[in-house]
Amino acid sequence: MTGIALRRVLQAVVVLLGVSVVVFALVHLVPGDPVRLALGTRFDQATYEALRERAGLDQPLLVQYAQWVSSAVTGDLGVSFRSGEPVTLLILERLPATLSLAFASILVALLIAVPLGTASALRPRSLVDGVSTVFSQIGISVPEFWMGIMLILVFAGALGWFPPAGYVAFGDDPLGWARSLVLPAVTTGLVSGSVLTRFTRSSVLEALGAEHVRTARAKGLPARAVFRWHVLRNALLPLVTVTGVQMAYLLSGVVVVEIVFAWPGLGQLALQSVQARDYPVLQGAVLLFALVFLVVNLVVDLLYTKLDPRISA
Amino acid sequence: MRRRTVLTGLAAASSVPLVAACSGGGEPVDTGEGQGGGAAGGGAGALVVAISAQPDQLDPHRTTAYASFQVLENVYDTLVVPAADDLTMEPSLAESWETSEDQLTWTFTLREGVTFHSGKELTAEDVVFSYRRIIDQELANSYRFATVADVAAPDERTVVVTLSSPTPNLLSQVGGFKGMAVLPSGVDESTLTTQADGTGPFRLDGFSASEVTLSAFDGYWGEAPTVTGVTYQFITEPAAALTALQSDQVQWTDNVPPQQVASLADDDTVELGNVPSVDYWYLAMNCRTAPFDDPAVRRAVATAIDRAAITEAAKFDAAAPNQTAIPEDSFWYLDYAPYEADVDAARALLEGAGVSGPVTMGLMVTSEYPETVTAAQVIANQLEPLGITVEIQTEDFATWLDRQSQGDFDAFMLGWLGNIDPFDFYDSQHRTDASNNYHGYSNPVTDDLLERAATESDQDARKDLYDQAARQIVDDASYVYLYNPNTVQAWKPGITGYEARADKAVNFETVQLPS
Repeated sequence: MTGIALRRVLQAVVVLLGVSVVVFALVHLVPGDPVRLALGTRFDQATYEALRERAGLDQPLLVQYAQWVSSAVTGDLGVSFRSGEPVTLLILERLPATLSLAFASILVALLIAVPLGTASALRPRSLVDGVSTVFSQIGISVPEFWMGIMLILVFAGALGWFPPAGYVAFGDDPLGWARSLVLPAVTTGLVSGSVLTRFTRSSVLEALGAEHVRTARAKGLPARAVFRWHVLRNALLPLVTVTGVQMAYLLSGVVVVEIVFAWPGLGQLALQSVQARDYPVLQGAVLLFALVFLVVNLVVDLLYTKLDPRISA
Repeated sequence: MRRRTVLTGLAAASSVPLVAACSGGGEPVDTGEGQGGGAAGGGAGALVVAISAQPDQLDPHRTTAYASFQVLENVYDTLVVPAADDLTMEPSLAESWETSEDQLTWTFTLREGVTFHSGKELTAEDVVFSYRRIIDQELANSYRFATVADVAAPDERTVVVTLSSPTPNLLSQVGGFKGMAVLPSGVDESTLTTQADGTGPFRLDGFSASEVTLSAFDGYWGEAPTVTGVTYQFITEPAAALTALQSDQVQWTDNVPPQQVASLADDDTVELGNVPSVDYWYLAMNCRTAPFDDPAVRRAVATAIDRAAITEAAKFDAAAPNQTAIPEDSFWYLDYAPYEADVDAARALLEGAGVSGPVTMGLMVTSEYPETVTAAQVIANQLEPLGITVEIQTEDFATWLDRQSQGDFDAFMLGWLGNIDPFDFYDSQHRTDASNNYHGYSNPVTDDLLERAATESDQDARKDLYDQAARQIVDDASYVYLYNPNTVQAWKPGITGYEARADKAVNFETVQLPS
């Protein structure tokens, strides 16, 4: 196990280095000038030159990259063009909101997907299965922004149960935190939940049809025990993978939902930095997202070895 | 696992480098009658407001984002300030000023007993420090000091500004908005992005990714604010902001869904401020590219379009069509509307210019301001019968600005916001090779009028010069002016002492909450 972990960490370092090159190149190749954006439309040329120089943008690209990477390895991701704040600080500031939303969404998604997907797999073509199919179709095809706005209008506007937008820090007010979390988490949870419901259904179905399950049934094992020991455990494997991917997606910020619910997460930060061509923040954020994917994948792989002893070899 | 792509309209408004209030997303949403069931907002001490974006930073000399100024307006002061009703400049930190005979020396006398939030007393040194900071570090607003040769403080309460040429609009240049704020001399400049030490009615308590909090400053030189503080929340989605207002989460917002402005006027759960603003939106054609280099072709376009229909589509009821830049309420307004929507007349103009056969016009608009995208669709329809095929090119704002500055366009649409003096409305956009003359317009007659107007100190003579210049600009169709949008803001009934302003300055100094 430590061997796997060590190997994966080394791989991760190489991947991150590669990502840093790609990100840096892409960010600088995209048209748009951060200095012009920062100045708006009214300014004079001297101001423009001065700001470019201050931001280091007059240096050759290779020099800029070398400076960025050499300070990034020490944890210094530079300073935002837009706000003048250190990038690490901006990211850390938004981490709690993103983490809250990601975990709450995955919780909502799993609470929907596991029971619904399993039930519909156990009784294919039944009413439950029909409901589950329709639900996942809707969840996948309805745009998140529309779903979010509808939830706001009904549950915040008409019923007044939850705040329509905004984030409350857990440390300030735990109850307010939970209330502010419900609508955005349900919005993203429904979408992730629909995806996961389909996967749960198909992987449980597959497990049900496996030879060893038939054998277990044939030897007279009670249905419950067959399901518990022979179906669920095997069905969990693909579900863990897909959940991992969903989790990584949620952790790198759900831009649309964050905008609709005024949720100060990493997605908003990334979007703002794209719009402002705020290179340091954008680079930092993308690097972090890459790191998140690597870590989540590592965790998924390690979980695999726990769930399926055959893999640990 | 990739999902559908992000809706660009929703993404707008979160970063607004122009000074802009901005309407948010473009999805029509019907709320019905939202009934608030949440916590009651009345009687409490602090005002909670929703603005459409997070301020990028709070250094008044460095930021250009409207969201930042919505906060800074209440924290910092300038020497003079635009009056709420007609935007003429009135005393603020300066209680009086004099101009020398030759118009080259302005002497400001500072108000006594003004202190910064840190307790430091305001002196003329602070004004010199602030202005020198803008000039010497070539910050975003240094263009406003283009004619300033020197700033000096002969004594504690006197500031002398020496000019290289007469600058009749100096007051609007130093007081038009809080980008010209007075900071305490010797302040640690690295702290200014997230902290503030101003002389305004509120002090800055906190600035995070989810809110800005201000508290009333009891040492304020003017009348102390009645609310104990202001909390700004950042709600980008207009439907969410309106629901937040209707359900009492906030008590004021300027993020009102444009399509609901008309219906909100009759809604007694919301008080609506809907007043003409000093912004204007326009279409500019590239005067360096055939066939648009011919004024007759530009005139044909100006004649073919129906401004009322464009205005209706882009802004619903919340704007007034205009054929010049300056809105009707201003002293500087010129009643001049030579174009009447008429396709036949336009066709005749086009034929007169020798243009036969199909013309293609690439019209560059930006998703940052969704109204330009909507307006472009209407313009495209209106120019079609004329034989002009409009190719709508929707860009994100960064790319849009790049292409604008490179002259890489046939035509574009955008607005100029927060204009006060006619100099702001016309000068840098239409003088030959001036900084914002991206479309390459050049007419020696216009240049001469603008140059004389910029230094003319007699107000009536100055208005006459700007009137002539505006006529020339409209006749040459340098810009095809479209409309002046309204300032639209909404607040809870029972809130008093607040006024929606033409310059979109958001001032909570005199607001009173319902008891």
